[in-house]
Amino acid sequence: MVLKLHTMPWSAGGRRVALLLHEKKVPYELVEPDWAAQEHKSEQWKEKQPFGQVPYIDDDGFILFESRAIARYIAAKYASSGTALLPDDTSDLQAMALIDQGISAELSNFEPYVAGLVVEKLIKPLRGAEPDQAAVAKHEATLTEKMDGFELMLSKRKYMAGDSLTFVDLIFCPYGNALTKMGYDHLTNESKHPNLARWWKEISTRETWLAVKDTVPKSFLV
Amino acid sequence: MVLKLYTSAIATCGQRVAVILHEKQIPYELIEPNWVNKEHKSESWLKNHPFGQMPFIDDDGFVLFESRAIIRYIATKYASSGTPLLPGDTSDLKAMAILDQAISIETSNFDPHAGGIMKEKTFKKWAGQEADPIFVAKSEEGMVGKLDGFEKLLAKQKYMAGDSLTFVDFHYLPYGTGLEKLGYDYLTNESKYPNIARWWKEVSSRESWSAVKNSIPPSL
Repeated sequence: MVLKLHTMPWSAGGRRVALLLHEKKVPYELVEPDWAAQEHKSEQWKEKQPFGQVPYIDDDGFILFESRAIARYIAAKYASSGTALLPDDTSDLQAMALIDQGISAELSNFEPYVAGLVVEKLIKPLRGAEPDQAAVAKHEATLTEKMDGFELMLSKRKYMAGDSLTFVDLIFCPYGNALTKMGYDHLTNESKHPNLARWWKEISTRETWLAVKDTVPKSFLV
Repeated sequence: MVLKLYTSAIATCGQRVAVILHEKQIPYELIEPNWVNKEHKSESWLKNHPFGQMPFIDDDGFVLFESRAIIRYIATKYASSGTPLLPGDTSDLKAMAILDQAISIETSNFDPHAGGIMKEKTFKKWAGQEADPIFVAKSEEGMVGKLDGFEKLLAKQKYMAGDSLTFVDFHYLPYGTGLEKLGYDYLTNESKYPNIARWWKEVSSRESWSAVKNSIPPSL
């Protein structure tokens, strides 16, 4: 049975999963919840995803949610397909620890602040609500500090988890894209953050990201 | 060389690592930064922890930061020491995926809201600052909004990553205890959230947590 990706096509988490599926050339089918009916908040949906969120996958009966967990599952299950996205030696404790460090750093030091800005600057205007300027200022200040940290990380190694590309780098794509879309130059200012700029230029121009960055395609059949 | 844990003895993220060291009975040495001098923001600290945070470990020259990454590293490296904290079969893709799902759930659905409350009501207090009631209210609303999800999850399985205890259950300890101390009953309301209460009672009463929750011992 083809893998089913349950998500709205614009969801950041959904696009994150789709990126991995495209990189690993895994056939899938997009199954969109009924947004108008708020299907993802239904009791039926919560049987699969108890927090009423998107995305989740149904891989021949195996249900998994949390886009970063799904990304890792795909990278591991299809290790020999498409782009190599894990350390060469997955029994190398230190290499795998750097993977976990990268995932944690993205969730702790990047996502909350970019997502916060997305809510204020992209989502609220869509709903006719005013951005909370105090919240914007708070997120911006913290984010600036955090991006210095990522710049330092990338001054020591080529990618987020070492000197080879891994799925951890790809996890940054949706919110990295949003950050740039909102006009922030943390990822593109070569004089201020040369390593971030170098890394982001490479990640964000991947054909696979371009294929999913605005919307999850309906299906991907190899 | 004994594992070096660089953190303040009362830092919540440091305690998250310390509880696992105690649970697995792994010798360590606590090295506290000079708080008054803001040593954790110094150039030499940044060499090891680029975000100027704590904790980080130095395991015989291997430096690692992010408490949850450190925990997984310890749980894996010392799989056969102390309490087993990994799924039974670590080559089982699905079991490991459920583990990753559980790790992500805590960082996405608990930490931001619990951390938000802690930041305003506990950490700011330590720094002599006042809590911002708007941010407190926002975090409280966020936290309450997630509890049904956790209750549903724990109604189907005994622990956060399945029917066996794993290191992920311990991730909740520092902020969970912090919230209890502040008088919130999110994790202890047996009538409203019986499964959360059942799980929290068991995990939070483990000896390893009692050993570190007030202050990380200088060594083990």
